[in-house]
Amino acid sequence: MNGLREHLGQSLRLHFRNRMALLYGYLFPLIFLVAFWVLYRHEKIPLIRHMGELLTVSVLGGACFGLPTTLVSERERGVWRRYRLTPLPTWAFVVSTALARYVIILSAGALQLGLALSLGMPLPAHPLDLWVAFTVVSFAFIGLGLVLAMLADNVPAVQALGQCIFLPMLIIGGVAVQLASLPTWAQHVSAFFPGRYAVEALQACVAGVGLESIGFCLLALALIGVAGCSAGAKLFRWDAAQRFAASNGKLWLVPVLGAWLAVGLLAEVRDRIAVSIDGATVAAPVATMPAPLPLPPWTKITAKDVAALDFRVPSDGGVVSPFAGPEEEASDYTKDEVEAVRQGLLTWRPGLEGDDVQRVRNLVCVAAVPDSIQQPVERYLPPVVLSHLQEIYPKDKLIKILTWIVLHPEDGSVIDSIADLGVQGTAGDPAVVRERSYLYSIKFILRITGRIDR
Amino acid sequence: METKVRVTGLRKRYGAIEALRGVDFTLQAGQIFGLLGPNGAGKTSTLECVLGLREPDAGTVEICGLDALRFPREVKRKIGVALQSTALQDKITPREALNLFGAFYPEPEPTLRLLERFDLVAKADAAFESLSGGQRQRLALALAFVHRPEVVILDEPSTGLDPQARHELHAEIRRMKCDGYTVLLSTHQLDEAAALCDRVAIIDQGRIVATGTPHELVASAASGQAVRFTASQPIDPASLNRIPGLRALRSEGLSVYFETDEAAPVVTALMVLLAAQGATLWELEVKRSSLEDVFLKLTRPENKSMIHLA
Repeated sequence: MNGLREHLGQSLRLHFRNRMALLYGYLFPLIFLVAFWVLYRHEKIPLIRHMGELLTVSVLGGACFGLPTTLVSERERGVWRRYRLTPLPTWAFVVSTALARYVIILSAGALQLGLALSLGMPLPAHPLDLWVAFTVVSFAFIGLGLVLAMLADNVPAVQALGQCIFLPMLIIGGVAVQLASLPTWAQHVSAFFPGRYAVEALQACVAGVGLESIGFCLLALALIGVAGCSAGAKLFRWDAAQRFAASNGKLWLVPVLGAWLAVGLLAEVRDRIAVSIDGATVAAPVATMPAPLPLPPWTKITAKDVAALDFRVPSDGGVVSPFAGPEEEASDYTKDEVEAVRQGLLTWRPGLEGDDVQRVRNLVCVAAVPDSIQQPVERYLPPVVLSHLQEIYPKDKLIKILTWIVLHPEDGSVIDSIADLGVQGTAGDPAVVRERSYLYSIKFILRITGRIDR
Repeated sequence: METKVRVTGLRKRYGAIEALRGVDFTLQAGQIFGLLGPNGAGKTSTLECVLGLREPDAGTVEICGLDALRFPREVKRKIGVALQSTALQDKITPREALNLFGAFYPEPEPTLRLLERFDLVAKADAAFESLSGGQRQRLALALAFVHRPEVVILDEPSTGLDPQARHELHAEIRRMKCDGYTVLLSTHQLDEAAALCDRVAIIDQGRIVATGTPHELVASAASGQAVRFTASQPIDPASLNRIPGLRALRSEGLSVYFETDEAAPVVTALMVLLAAQGATLWELEVKRSSLEDVFLKLTRPENKSMIHLA
């Protein structure tokens, strides 16, 4: 144990002396985070929606590039050959290397989280759960990093192999591109990648219900981690002269690939592929605010209140709260979806709510939810919702209710998903839905009052 | 005397190449044993099998009474190793390296004592990348001694060292002998083997072709004395050939080379001959056979006879 502890400590000391490792291990994740923040800087609390992805990218980089690069470069130098001449067993070196990497990744994640908090992100909903989920995610990716280190004969090979894992995971694995934005086939593919489960697990702890909802994700990640670490230890190569092509035990790659396959198949069998996998979870509001305090009724809203609203909102053609113009037609791809929503609104239960303010709030969510997850259909639904509202409410009443919502954005509850209207995806963060509801309510008032004529 | 290392019938094949073809040698306690051989002779493969870095196809390796193939971890506690080029991480310091490697053993030598012994105190906290070749080699030796080994194995330790560092290394190896350590030394430097080793084994094409003390090997392979002289003018070879006991005569410019069993009468006759031809003797060198001669003789393709002495 003494040897393991000393090797762990020494590995960390050497890491913190390596400028390039610090640059890639710490600065790069922070830059990534700031890039996201800049992209969404006009929003009140945008980062909380992306922490799952941001933390996953950090873990992925540290485990699948940092770990194998260090391991392979030391092997090329002959350091591991010298270690082999000591009586410390292989497993002790593997464990201490993995632990050192975990500490490095954890500190990078904490730094990233700290920066996000300093930029205005609210505290994670379940900090302890987040640490547990982060640990399981790290375990899975460190196992993968160990396997990459054993496959790669030299450092350039690490980069090549790492990219083969990193890029697909980013693009179709649900890490950089939200699953809801992916075509169905890609959602099926993503179920075989650990990145999807990493994002889901971390995001649920940052802005969801915590560990209780991510049992499958943790199981999937643990399975992938066990397979990776076991294979990494069995395939362990001490000497740069030992080429992977000539080494024995290549069959240990079978359990690694088998774990990915098993996780994907299990997800298929359990019908976890589509983003709105759990009807109960998706249909339920993400967060229900405490019972509203006795407030002045919306009927007391005056024209002066309406005129005093801040009508400065993002442009209709932008990324946030887009709004299709009257001449703009939905593409073939989204036309059916728009039509399904138009028809569905007539019988949609949240749209038949008895309380007028909550009813309008729910209907505004039909525009806000697709916008918060950047669905292709997002810009075509606001006109549909506005039209529906104008059909069911007289003009003055509708203006007062919408003004009330604008003035009380934190009241009532918001809808997290409109999957029952045929639009897949889960917003995940109620605060963002409230923010978008606020923006669309103003845009609706602008149109109803004729301040803009579209 | 206690046998510390016993290698028997060691065989190793890499595809079609048979690197080791039954290597046998023994190393007694307190000895410095040199494993000599040209490149590709099987020296590295032998050491790698002894160290457990490679698994032999056949044969046994016994170190301090333990079967090295069955009990590798126990054997690693008995041996200290300095590889040909010990590379550590660029940023690690000698103090940290000694602390780290010491932690791998149950009763490590105090780091400060090792730093003092191997003259590394001044560089104790310097990064490995800033150490000179000699300092790196001293650190490699210090690492071999972190756990007070019974047998020290040095793989071509003087490769790449400047003369001063080499001199210091040789002094350190002699000190190991004085301290009672048993040393297995792999080298291709014949003067190093001759100066340091109690016994040497010459390996060629995967087999041990000669074992014994350097003196015994030289004596056994002695082919007399080699004479070289340079005169002020060319000497007629026919007149030289008339000197009794002179053989293998050849000349290069004004220099003449030959061999003889007894140099004294031949050189006397040579002086008379030069005086008769009016030539002046500029240089004269008489050399006995050396370990190098034995090595070259035994590792020539045409000579595969084996010499085994005490």
